[in-house]
Amino acid sequence: MPTPIRAILDLFSSVRFGIVILAVLFVYMSVGSAGIVYPVHPNVFHPDAWVHAQVRQWRPFEMTEFEWFHWWPFDVLLGLLCANLAVTTLRRIPFRPVNYGVWMIHSGIIVLVVGSVIYFGTKVEGEVPVPRRSVTVGILAAPAGGGAGELVAEATMLAMPGNRVTVGEGADRYEVEVQSIDPEWEMLSGDDRGARAYSVNLSVVGPGQRFIRQLVAGRPHYTEDMVFTQDPKQPVKRAVKETGKPLVDERLFAALDYGPADRFYLKNDLEKSWALYVRRPGEAKWVQRPVHGLPLYNDCVGDPGEVFASGSDAIAPHPIRVAIPPAAEGDPAPGVTLEATGYLRYAQSRSRWRAGGPGDAPNAVAAVSVADREGRAMSYRLESRDPQKRSADGGVLALRQVSDEDQMRAFMAQPSLRLRVPAKGIDLLETVKDAALADKDAPWRPIGAPDSGYGYRVVAVQDDLAIAGREVSVAILELRTPAGEFRRWAFSDPTMSRDLREGEDPMAAMKRGGESFIDASVEVEYLPGNGLALALLVAGPEDGRLRLIDSLGRTEARVLDVEPGRALALAAGVSLTVTEWLPNAVEETRPFVVPAEQRQRDARELFAMMRLSNPGDAAGEWLQYHPYVFDTPQDVLRRYWFRPSRFKLPDGSELEVLFSRQRLPLPAPVALDTFELATHVGGFSGQSSSIRNYTSVIRFRDPKGEWGAPMPVSVNEPAEFGGFSYFQSQWDPPDEARDGRLASAGLNYTVLGVGNRHGVWTQLAGCVIACAGMAYAFYVKPVIKRRNRRLVLEEIARAKAEGRAPRFPHDLTESVHA
Amino acid sequence: MRDMTDAASTRMIHFVLALAAMLGFAMPAPAQAPSGRPFHELVDLRPLDSVAVFTEGRLKSFGSFANTQMQFVTGPRRVAGQPSDFTYLDLMFRPKAYEGAALLYVKNKQVRARISDAVLRADLSRGEEMAAFGSSGLVSEAALMLPGVGAELRAMEADLIRTAKEMDSLKGALSVKDPAFLLSSLRVIPPGDGSPDRPWASIGDVMLLGADPSTLPEQARERPQAPLPGIDEARQRAVAANWRAMVSAWNKGDAEGVNAAVRSLAAGLPALVPSAYPSTERLSWEGWYFRNGNLSRTWLLYLVSTVLLLLALVYRWPWSMKAGMVTFGIALGMQTFAVMLRWYISGRWPNSNMFEAVTTAAWMGTFAAFVAELFLRRTAMRGLLALGGSVASMVALMAAYLLPVQLNPNISNMMPVLHDLWLYIHTNVIIFSYALIFMAAVTAMAYLAWRALGNGPAHARVGGAGAAIEMAAGDASAASGAAGAPNAPARASLGETLDGVTMLLTEVSFVMLWAGIVMGAIWADHSWGRPWGWDPKEVFALNTFVIFALLIHVRWKVRDKGLWTAVLAVAGAAVMLFNWIVINFVIAGLHSYA
Repeated sequence: MPTPIRAILDLFSSVRFGIVILAVLFVYMSVGSAGIVYPVHPNVFHPDAWVHAQVRQWRPFEMTEFEWFHWWPFDVLLGLLCANLAVTTLRRIPFRPVNYGVWMIHSGIIVLVVGSVIYFGTKVEGEVPVPRRSVTVGILAAPAGGGAGELVAEATMLAMPGNRVTVGEGADRYEVEVQSIDPEWEMLSGDDRGARAYSVNLSVVGPGQRFIRQLVAGRPHYTEDMVFTQDPKQPVKRAVKETGKPLVDERLFAALDYGPADRFYLKNDLEKSWALYVRRPGEAKWVQRPVHGLPLYNDCVGDPGEVFASGSDAIAPHPIRVAIPPAAEGDPAPGVTLEATGYLRYAQSRSRWRAGGPGDAPNAVAAVSVADREGRAMSYRLESRDPQKRSADGGVLALRQVSDEDQMRAFMAQPSLRLRVPAKGIDLLETVKDAALADKDAPWRPIGAPDSGYGYRVVAVQDDLAIAGREVSVAILELRTPAGEFRRWAFSDPTMSRDLREGEDPMAAMKRGGESFIDASVEVEYLPGNGLALALLVAGPEDGRLRLIDSLGRTEARVLDVEPGRALALAAGVSLTVTEWLPNAVEETRPFVVPAEQRQRDARELFAMMRLSNPGDAAGEWLQYHPYVFDTPQDVLRRYWFRPSRFKLPDGSELEVLFSRQRLPLPAPVALDTFELATHVGGFSGQSSSIRNYTSVIRFRDPKGEWGAPMPVSVNEPAEFGGFSYFQSQWDPPDEARDGRLASAGLNYTVLGVGNRHGVWTQLAGCVIACAGMAYAFYVKPVIKRRNRRLVLEEIARAKAEGRAPRFPHDLTESVHA
Repeated sequence: MRDMTDAASTRMIHFVLALAAMLGFAMPAPAQAPSGRPFHELVDLRPLDSVAVFTEGRLKSFGSFANTQMQFVTGPRRVAGQPSDFTYLDLMFRPKAYEGAALLYVKNKQVRARISDAVLRADLSRGEEMAAFGSSGLVSEAALMLPGVGAELRAMEADLIRTAKEMDSLKGALSVKDPAFLLSSLRVIPPGDGSPDRPWASIGDVMLLGADPSTLPEQARERPQAPLPGIDEARQRAVAANWRAMVSAWNKGDAEGVNAAVRSLAAGLPALVPSAYPSTERLSWEGWYFRNGNLSRTWLLYLVSTVLLLLALVYRWPWSMKAGMVTFGIALGMQTFAVMLRWYISGRWPNSNMFEAVTTAAWMGTFAAFVAELFLRRTAMRGLLALGGSVASMVALMAAYLLPVQLNPNISNMMPVLHDLWLYIHTNVIIFSYALIFMAAVTAMAYLAWRALGNGPAHARVGGAGAAIEMAAGDASAASGAAGAPNAPARASLGETLDGVTMLLTEVSFVMLWAGIVMGAIWADHSWGRPWGWDPKEVFALNTFVIFALLIHVRWKVRDKGLWTAVLAVAGAAVMLFNWIVINFVIAGLHSYA
């Protein structure tokens, strides 16, 4: 044999070489998994002198655990180990009973490595959210010759509280909103009495009326309407009890259907799976462009001035340029390769004010500090354009922008009510004092003479409400007139004023048509003046001018000129200082890099952002990451979001773009039939600790369009279909109403894990062979060796007695010495 | 639903106020009886152990329930030496007595320091109180309400990584100690229809039944309580009357009265809906188990047996060996009882949280050592496995005893993903192997100590199991490596024996660890969708295996086999402990919920 080959064979049959490989593997795995700690201070005995770092996440590596453990150095190490095992076993370990154990261990490990190469080489893993039901709404055209009508207008949305669609136009328009969903609705009558089913309540505002339509999954014959009544004890009644018919409006068609999913989203941890989705505005379907080469762990920003960062986390420039070429047929911009020019691991879009120039529109923003005699100070930030942010401290402090002196004068007036009874010639202007403090026992004040028969008292005032896109103020009064006692909402815009009927909801009253007033003989107009503000800062009308209308502790308001930075002494030892003054504030929206200590630890890439640019262009648009890609706002699952951006291409045309992860087609569309919770004693408490198991019952659609048999998928019990396993992964827990969204009883969708598992049996076989080998080597081999030793000793004794040299079979001596 | 519970708790507050007015709560009740013994020692709440409380999808004994709840408030500490069931009731009945008392536990020392600084900035006179807080971790609500402290707490709340969790538990402590919450949580009345799917009702829902309306304040009179449906009304009234009697006696400092009422309650509550009630015997045992500190004090017995066995090892005193083995046997008996009792109480094999994993692993390793001792009792190896088992169990039970926060002994429901046969096999095999690895490290350390005393190289020639087999068969000379010299002394040196035991344990743990990892992969394959995820916990289990693979091959190659074996056995145990402690508590991975 030539020497070099012999040298290599010798190397690979060396146990020492194997030991070195194992030791290097140990170090490689430890560093990749736990990271390293290293000292950053010479006093190495102090615990703070050490920091921990995940090496694989460092900028040059940028690897997930999977990527680190499938990087070429690791593959090389495993290859060397297998070669070492194979060569050593073949060359150095004779295949005899004493050695069967070690043969099995070594060959088992090689089989395991082969199985793993197959497994991880072909592994695809992701997740698919599957909604439970969608709602189809339509208008049935009046049937020409009787029979079922034809659907003339149609819209669909996911059954998710708060989702809404509109069908029809003009006088024939229906606004339909998913008001609530009961996943476990109990039938109260009929043959199915006591059974439970998924039920959806739609709130319908149709031509001339408002009602609720209830849909029951799988039981369309239970569809029925509910109407509103005047009875405060039972505000909603089944239509059949009021009108004798189950449906109020038979022209409105509404039905539940499956909301199947046909693609699954690749997880970002097997390898990074970023993708950009593009479509022309107005189109329904997104086209995918995979983004290869975008980092995952480290921020990459070309110009740090482009993002906001908290003071301690300075951001160093790390420009990137990752090409995003079209990858699929049907790409709306086939000739344009876009570029990713920035990446942020954990950021949120934030707006801040910057001082504009005289050319910018007037927009007053001020920071105000108010101090009392003891020196206690409070700071406020006021923005004149935003009704929510223009006042502070319950409205006592406010900032307003005026365009002329007339508005200024109006703000100097105290809030007042104009009360008129034309028939009696009464016309009064009365100031509203301490309205917010009024209670139900406040005295009635006469309108006009005490015997006029008219009186009022103020219940509350609300300034600057946003109603129907306008800002209005309202005083809520109780009126006593010859027609009786009732409540009136008197608006600054008198055309909106309304009287409330007994027990009527104010918001419903605002929307109702018909007569506005119970007694129109009395007219009330609310003049908000400076509202509740005792210290009202007024910007304008001249550029940069700022004045204070001070009503604190005085009957007549006074006007003071405000100089930023200088304290103004008000009554009772209170002083006010405008610490920052931006008369022409311009809003800037940029990604804010969330400081490390405020990041949710398990957020993964949920708050990532990518900067998208045209090729070679310095400008760019930051896009927020989306875990899932939805087609329309009606497809959005609760707890997820849908914020596509408009992006201008070099040719001036626009694309709609969305940053997410790659998705692949499922073998067949999958639908969620039901979602079940198994609970511990006491039922579901709202806490996940009361849940014993989650089960999604899913169905796949065959090529003919038929839904297959229901398949349960629960924790630890996946289902198999079309070469993939489906796992129970996430669920839709109950959720309270917040941020203007309706509450949800949950269970409206499931998220299934999806994955293949080629080679898993080979892996298992390798493990089992190795395991059996270990047992053999440790517990059978000593017995064999002991027997052999006994045979040797016996042979020696026998030979000695017979006076001859002892004779041993070859494998016996070898095993004794092994 | 939240609104409903809010409304319910508002109502509950009213009722507590009502009770307060009715029973004269306002007067600071005597916590001291005339005899001089503190009230909590005179009151006997043990009968309540047989009362079931519904909480978080479980039915717990009152004692164990109160333990869990008080841990949210006082952490591992006790208030004024009172048992937690007493504190639970006392906090509810006499909240005023605890105003200003250091009650709320803060675990993190740096958070303690920040709170202390803020408190002292506001009120310098609290120096002593803050010094006590620094060491015990208990702080009063009054201190947290000082000006400026709130801002500090909010700042810590915003720091999601370092301090937000601590602030969450502080907020939790504040809400748990609220008397209205304590009363509404005391859900001791099963649903009338006995349904397992419906929650239980609180004693607060019925406690005013049959009360003289003239003694109640207006709010309570306006909304009189109705008996719960489906339960015999007379029995509900009796329970309510007993409860009121207990409250009344409690506030008068009448221990006899409390004890009588407690006995009646313990008899009356299970009789309300007998079909829905769990076994009162099991509940009593549960109360007993927690009352006796999970029996983790057994570590003291193991300490004694460890010392005795070490003496026997070093000086070869037969009496010491005998006494050590007897103590070891008694300790193991108690530990076995504790594990079996926990199994009986929780209704599942105890291996689903850190406390159970540690204590069960130690028990399995020690039990195996005991069994092996039976086979090896006439060999030179005798006592060594018992020594390893003693040390392992001593350390595990000591950790459970001293670190009740990290190793929380409370019994809770398992997460759904943990309900699986393979999980049971996987975790038990793995933790068993971990226990054996630890025990191997004990004998390896003994070997290293033996070498450090100047003894030369020595090792078991035929491996661990081989040596054990030979020794058990009385073939000590072969085991000691004197195969070629039939006339060599039959007695193996201590070093050889120690190395043999280390190898014996290493071999078993090597196979068990491999098998355990494979079983974990089988579980993960159908639970997570991949048999292997390179999760830190998996990687370090594999790393532990790699160390032992190295041990076997290094032993093959080097001359001083005993020394290298001992060093690598200790290194393997270090990697195993790193996996269990650092990876579990510091580097959170997929396994963090196990």
